[in-house]
Amino acid sequence: MSKTLNRRDFIKTSSATTVGVATIASGITLTSFAVNANENPVTKDKRWGMLVDTNKLTEVEIDGMVSACQQENGWGSEVHSTGDQKPTWVKKLKVQDKATGKITSLPLMCQHCEEPPCVDVCPTNASMKREDGIVLVDKHLCIGCRYCMMACPYDARSFVHEELTDQREHMPRGKGTVESCTLCVHKVDNGESPACVASVNSDAVIFGDLYDPKSNINQTLKKVQSAQIRADLDLNTGVRYSGI
Amino acid sequence: MYRLVAILMVLLVSNVFAHGHQEQHDLGEEANSIKASGKIFHTDGLDVIRKMHPEFLNHKRDKTLREGVRTKEGSLKGCVNCHSTKDKKTNQYHPVNDQDQFCSTCHQQVSVSVDCFSCHRTTPRKGTK
Repeated sequence: MSKTLNRRDFIKTSSATTVGVATIASGITLTSFAVNANENPVTKDKRWGMLVDTNKLTEVEIDGMVSACQQENGWGSEVHSTGDQKPTWVKKLKVQDKATGKITSLPLMCQHCEEPPCVDVCPTNASMKREDGIVLVDKHLCIGCRYCMMACPYDARSFVHEELTDQREHMPRGKGTVESCTLCVHKVDNGESPACVASVNSDAVIFGDLYDPKSNINQTLKKVQSAQIRADLDLNTGVRYSGI
Repeated sequence: MYRLVAILMVLLVSNVFAHGHQEQHDLGEEANSIKASGKIFHTDGLDVIRKMHPEFLNHKRDKTLREGVRTKEGSLKGCVNCHSTKDKKTNQYHPVNDQDQFCSTCHQQVSVSVDCFSCHRTTPRKGTK
């Protein structure tokens, strides 16, 4: 039978074939995604966040978080920097209720904002936010102008004032650049939790994907009262606190 | 006149040979053992890695930092791990950017300063985080 194929028929058959191929192809890519997540760029499907319960978290545990961060990322042993010059990626902060005098301690680090002011002001595009919400400094591009330090409402960033040696293999740091909490991005990319979260043995600090309805952090945030520090600035922080 | 030309030619040729007979530099502990085993790590060819390594490293740094791609290919950590040499007396690694160490030998000759190691670690840190 020699039926001539008109334009409409041709489009129908060819689109059906295309859909078939696409279905198979997407199945294949999905499998390879699952094998090694590190080979693929991070996507907007995830947003990493942290929830700190200040009622459960003790002061000793906060000190433990600070030293775990120092140990992991290699800051805190700068000998030539004085006072304010010393890098601080995470610090223990005490807030007092004026009426009752109740003092609450909390760990304060980069809040990994959705709308980070540090990224807005950076003249070289060194201050950047990854697709999955982690805010970082690209030290290859950082010129050390420190605009981001001035723009950050949380005073979360530090400037390296001295030459450093013997850095951690996964965390390059050097004089003349700005640095801050990376949410232990090297660990997160390998499926682990940040060092400070791992140092706390209770569920006082939870880390996870804010968008994933099955994640502990997502479910807990749906249940408990939580707050963002300086929520009035409308930055939509990734680090949340409950009990303050 | 011919004598002059002949002298000039000899001088030119000797100059070429002088460059050809450079001192062989140490490739680094692990790189030496890979070479001795007969395996080839830089499969694209040594001329490619010699010429293109800045581009590879720059490309990888953006991929890793901005997109979270953490493959071993083009990783500076990998360069340092393979091309470091140990001091025979102290059993400690020499920094790769020290004078006459792997990175410096060529960069000294072509007078290019390497900026990687003002931030990046210069010695391998095997077995630890």
